[in-house]
Amino acid sequence: MGRTELRVLRDCSLSVADGEFVAVMGKSGSGKSTLLHILSALDVPQKGQVHFAGEPVFAPPVSRRLRTSITDVLSAAERRRNHLRRTQFGFVFQFYHLLPELNVLENVLIARMIDPSVLAWWSQGSAARGDATDILKRVGLSERLKHRPSELSGGECQRVAMARALVHKPKILFADEPTGNLDAEAGANIMALLAELHREGQTIVMVTHDPGIAQHADRILHLENGRLRPA
Amino acid sequence: MYKLFLTLRYLRKRRIAYFAIAAVTLCVAMVLIVMSVMGGWLEMVKLRARGLLGDVIVDNKAFQGFPLYEEFIDEISGWPEIVKATPLVYSYGLFQFRQTLRDGTTQVIQDGMARVVGLRLEDVCEINAFKEGLFYEKHYPGTTHLGEQQQPLIGYDLAGDPIPLKDEDGAIFGYRRPILPPAYQAALAESQAQDVVDTESAEDENARFLEELGVPPMPGVYRIVDDFGPPRMAGDPRPGLILGRDIVAKRHSDGRHERHYPRGKMVTLTLWATAGHSVDPFPIKQPFRYADDSYTGIFEIDSQYVYCDFDHLQKLLEMDEADRIDRETGQVIGKAPARCSQIQIKITQRVDGKPVDPVALCRRLEELYHSYLSDERFQLDLTERKLITRVEAMTWQESQAHIIVPVEKEKILVTILFGIISLVAVALILCILYMIVLQKTRDIGVIKSIGGSSGGVAAIFITYGAAVGIAGAVLGTILGSLVVHYINDLQDALIWFHPSLRVWDPAVYSFDTIPSEVRTVDAVCIVAVAILASTVGSVAAAWRAGTMQPVEALRYE
Repeated sequence: MGRTELRVLRDCSLSVADGEFVAVMGKSGSGKSTLLHILSALDVPQKGQVHFAGEPVFAPPVSRRLRTSITDVLSAAERRRNHLRRTQFGFVFQFYHLLPELNVLENVLIARMIDPSVLAWWSQGSAARGDATDILKRVGLSERLKHRPSELSGGECQRVAMARALVHKPKILFADEPTGNLDAEAGANIMALLAELHREGQTIVMVTHDPGIAQHADRILHLENGRLRPA
Repeated sequence: MYKLFLTLRYLRKRRIAYFAIAAVTLCVAMVLIVMSVMGGWLEMVKLRARGLLGDVIVDNKAFQGFPLYEEFIDEISGWPEIVKATPLVYSYGLFQFRQTLRDGTTQVIQDGMARVVGLRLEDVCEINAFKEGLFYEKHYPGTTHLGEQQQPLIGYDLAGDPIPLKDEDGAIFGYRRPILPPAYQAALAESQAQDVVDTESAEDENARFLEELGVPPMPGVYRIVDDFGPPRMAGDPRPGLILGRDIVAKRHSDGRHERHYPRGKMVTLTLWATAGHSVDPFPIKQPFRYADDSYTGIFEIDSQYVYCDFDHLQKLLEMDEADRIDRETGQVIGKAPARCSQIQIKITQRVDGKPVDPVALCRRLEELYHSYLSDERFQLDLTERKLITRVEAMTWQESQAHIIVPVEKEKILVTILFGIISLVAVALILCILYMIVLQKTRDIGVIKSIGGSSGGVAAIFITYGAAVGIAGAVLGTILGSLVVHYINDLQDALIWFHPSLRVWDPAVYSFDTIPSEVRTVDAVCIVAVAILASTVGSVAAAWRAGTMQPVEALRYE
């Protein structure tokens, strides 16, 4: 990100099976989040490739200058990454990252608004609204639909963020320290929710530095010196 | 869908956007007001230039005028392009309204300089829009003429049944119906049958009294007989004079006029026959009767111009035909032809299906006039030859180019200046949107993390800029249109507050009212430019938002 180039990940190789719950542990600054961002197509690796369902996620490497230019805006690779983020991936951030101008329902619904045009929304809107209400009911926020993020607790915000990540029924849910900003009780609730999703067959990749949280996963990996190794 | 949704939400929730909208609103309103007033002024200048002129004007710009106009008019009247041609005489003079005191002496109650125009009323009415501005001719058709006339007095209908009225004690008495002399009463009935209503005059006591009596209104002001006798024509016959309305009436703030004098009142013109045959010009004092008043809406015309009969004025100014006298021998050696100051010509649009080219026609008219110099039928002296040499024919646009072109340039200049000032709004939108992008960097990361494309994110801010432009342009158009619509009322209110706050001086801008019409094409252009400018102002912010990497945005502090 900065002016000095850091080699955060090297010779990393990870394969996640359908329905698997993988936890990646590591010290602060070890590159866990960077790994998750690359896996979820939020960031672009300088080298290497990520495959999803057998298809490469990234185009051949290009310089950073070019990546932030108009060629990237219009490139097929970016369109593919957008499509994956919109339909196949869901992402839960440590700091929730809810949009403060929107209420709870709208924060979830926005993830369903990305694809359709204004005209298509007329026909799809009510179904999307129903899905968003259902998922919010599932995370226990059916009474808070009209509340703004500023009116919610940290745990509630994280549940809204999870609902947003799940509303389009993603193949993989990426969670970046989902309990890192919560108290013990709220964290336990979130983990119970993730465990329940996993039991239902949801593929989850989570990074955490908390071994207790990582225990919920099928497989735990450690990231040290840019390399992944089994726990 | 998310682009429109977030754009509208940011518009509603980010109050800073209201400042951008307010800036666009003010800029649009400002440019619209300026363009409407300047454009309206330009249109009025063109109308003024056109209204009292023919399609083609023959003139030599000399105070002495030019001879052989009758021969010229006779000759061109046979041309298929010519509908009508009429000569005019222009001069300057002093007008005076007087009133008689009880001791029989008179005193001047109003005087001023006047531009005196001699015209043949019927011909001029066929050539241009002069007739449409005549007040009494509108309400009493056929009664306005410039020949000898007396003053019409309102009298009482002694033959008809009286109108029953109650006095202060409740006793009923008969009141004779007030009527005008028969010709005027018949003309009034004719106009009233055609639903011609007087909306130009301020309400006065006489009008209210007639209304109370149940008598149809008598537009204008007439003297009433002193003896409760029948209506009649009174006073010595004098030539008629049409005066500019601002000479004989006061304009009220609602645009209506209150006349000071009754129709037919005597008015004296003092002229200076400098263009005459006499070696030593002398002043001529001539009484006229106020036959009608003319309204063009152009202050400098309505406050200065008076119109009398062409032949009469020509004679007064000694521009009519006269003996040519040898200065050395004192003997009559021929006839000096009559002269006029100008010829106005109405032309047809098409001849044999082909459009008439007015400029080419002007060249032909000039050639014809100049050919008189070598025509053996006419015996012209050196002065007359010089006057004919200077005769030019021009279209009405050419003749008024010295007025129209500067106003057109002024309009363009002022519009450009205010357009440049409006760039401030664009800069403001740029700053505000850039600030919003900085504030919303994390939101941009979130939108990208859920699949929003770079183009989509950029589109949010482009749409935002366009929405600010649309909202500002609509509000600005409404505000500007309202201000333009009520601009004269606003000025009247300012003048009422303090006379020095007058912003539109009729003496400077030529017109007594500020143009108050918004042209649709102006409004559409301004709205389009405002939306475009606002959208352009959002490009830099949109570019930054669009090219931001999601992770970079999410980590932004």
